[in-house]
Amino acid sequence: MRRMGPAALLALLAAAAAVPWLAGPYGVTVATSAAMWVALTVSWSLLGGTTAYISLGHVVFYGLGAYLVAATWGDVPLWLAILGAGGLAGAFALLVGLPVLRVKGPYFVILTLGLAELVKHLVLNLEAGLGASSRLLFGAPGGTTLYAGMLALAVLSIALAWWVRGSRLGRGLAAIREDETAAETVGVPIARFKVAAYALSAVVPGMVGGLAALRSTYFEPTQAFSPVVSFTIVTMAIVGGSGGVAGPLMGALLLFAASELLWASFPQVYLIGLGVLLVGFVLFVPRGLAGFLPGARP
Amino acid sequence: MDVLLSGQLAFSVAVLGAVYAVVGLGLNLVYGTMRLLNVGHGELVMLGAYVAFWGFTLAGLSPLLGAPVAALLAALLGLALYGGLFRRMLEADGAGGRLEANSLLVFLGLSVVLQNASALAFTASPRAIRHLDEVIRVGGVAMTENRLAILLVAVAACAGTILLLRLGIHGLAIKALIDNRRAARIVGVDVDRTQRLSIALGFGLAGLAGALLAMIEQISPFMGFPYTVAAFVVIVLGGLGRLAGGVAAGFVLAAVQVYGVALTAPTYASVLLYGVFVAVLVLRPQGMAGARARP
Repeated sequence: MRRMGPAALLALLAAAAAVPWLAGPYGVTVATSAAMWVALTVSWSLLGGTTAYISLGHVVFYGLGAYLVAATWGDVPLWLAILGAGGLAGAFALLVGLPVLRVKGPYFVILTLGLAELVKHLVLNLEAGLGASSRLLFGAPGGTTLYAGMLALAVLSIALAWWVRGSRLGRGLAAIREDETAAETVGVPIARFKVAAYALSAVVPGMVGGLAALRSTYFEPTQAFSPVVSFTIVTMAIVGGSGGVAGPLMGALLLFAASELLWASFPQVYLIGLGVLLVGFVLFVPRGLAGFLPGARP
Repeated sequence: MDVLLSGQLAFSVAVLGAVYAVVGLGLNLVYGTMRLLNVGHGELVMLGAYVAFWGFTLAGLSPLLGAPVAALLAALLGLALYGGLFRRMLEADGAGGRLEANSLLVFLGLSVVLQNASALAFTASPRAIRHLDEVIRVGGVAMTENRLAILLVAVAACAGTILLLRLGIHGLAIKALIDNRRAARIVGVDVDRTQRLSIALGFGLAGLAGALLAMIEQISPFMGFPYTVAAFVVIVLGGLGRLAGGVAAGFVLAAVQVYGVALTAPTYASVLLYGVFVAVLVLRPQGMAGARARP
């Protein structure tokens, strides 16, 4: 797999790039969602996939990005707003990560549990105060342009994950996963690495949220900050398996395909299925689907 | 200003704080003894509320009588999960490893299953019951009978649990497990039985709180999450394993919410709850370590 990986990825990318020519508008919409989930899940795995520091509220970055793009719609060029969305998400991750990630243990995970809800309700109150409870987004780019953007973000998230994995940061995170105290003892700057990984894992979701907001003609905070998004990201990443790009990629694509079959008609059944998969994989397949790949370490 | 000083708000704080204390006590027991991060704790509250709702709607059973039933059912669910899932996880967990992260993911999955299974079974539309909603006056404070009943039952549940832990031999074992698992095992505490007792008690308290809340809150499959968050505030603010501290923290959280809403607007209730939660974790992240750092 180690050697087949890049080839498989390039083939997948070529297929993804061909979608607008091969499939109709519906196919492009589906492919946009698939690219979105890949970008979100691979980004999440930067910190959550390698360490016990799991973000349960990753939708907060997605929602912040969506909100920034919606709030500046028509005033700021879209490319700038999207870049700003990534910057805002990363800065917010630094802000909340710095105090909490300095401490070992589950505090960070618990914090992320409520963080997205806090920001959601703050935005709701802010919007109500501004008298703009749902913003209209007219004149958004067409489906193919959105797809190109989303695909670029998926590629960016994969490139980022690849780069981190081979870097000092990636090796430090691996050491933190194995034994945080030992890593600290041998001189890994654990707090700095955890915060850096959290911020990096936030940037792409911020930009994804900004783009995803344009798929609809209005912005609505309860949708942009839906906890279902966070839960879906976590499940996709855990089912796919951690420690690389292949796992989150497979998890995202497979579960997204299942959602296409079930979501529209049986959303509750789909979510129950995700919950069962999450529990089952944590308990019985802790290495995820990636553990079955040829070349995966036993 | 008169409103702020009135007994009315103080009574609201007492009712909400007592409910938070019961819910938080339950989480404290489960997290304290087993290090299981139950992010689905609020779903037990939701299930308890539905038990009370259906008992009242189908059989005319008062939620006050439904509450012990809800507590019992929640306790049985806890025992089933312990026997089916968590005992194995606890035994497999050697050097502390990923137990907390894994238990959290398992509970996250379970909570989503419970929410959506409830939505399938009971529909997602909110329900409510009217029971004991006559207004009575006690010393100039107007209160509905059901709120007074909730306050009394919740205080009794807290006091009973804390007394059990202070006085009984089982309570002592639970306290020992919270303080130091390994040492507790060495001095001969029956760890398995104590864990079973903790999870039954912890889940039961959440179910009880839910049944009580059914009299005053809207019941829906997605009502649980704020109670999960409140329970974590109680643990972090009050200190892990410090049950009395947790009860106090429940009232602090309730006071912030009730007086905060009185000063602003009802739409800020959620901002206040989650704001206190985030502030407590950012300012006091080591709070969960409790009075003593664990090895």
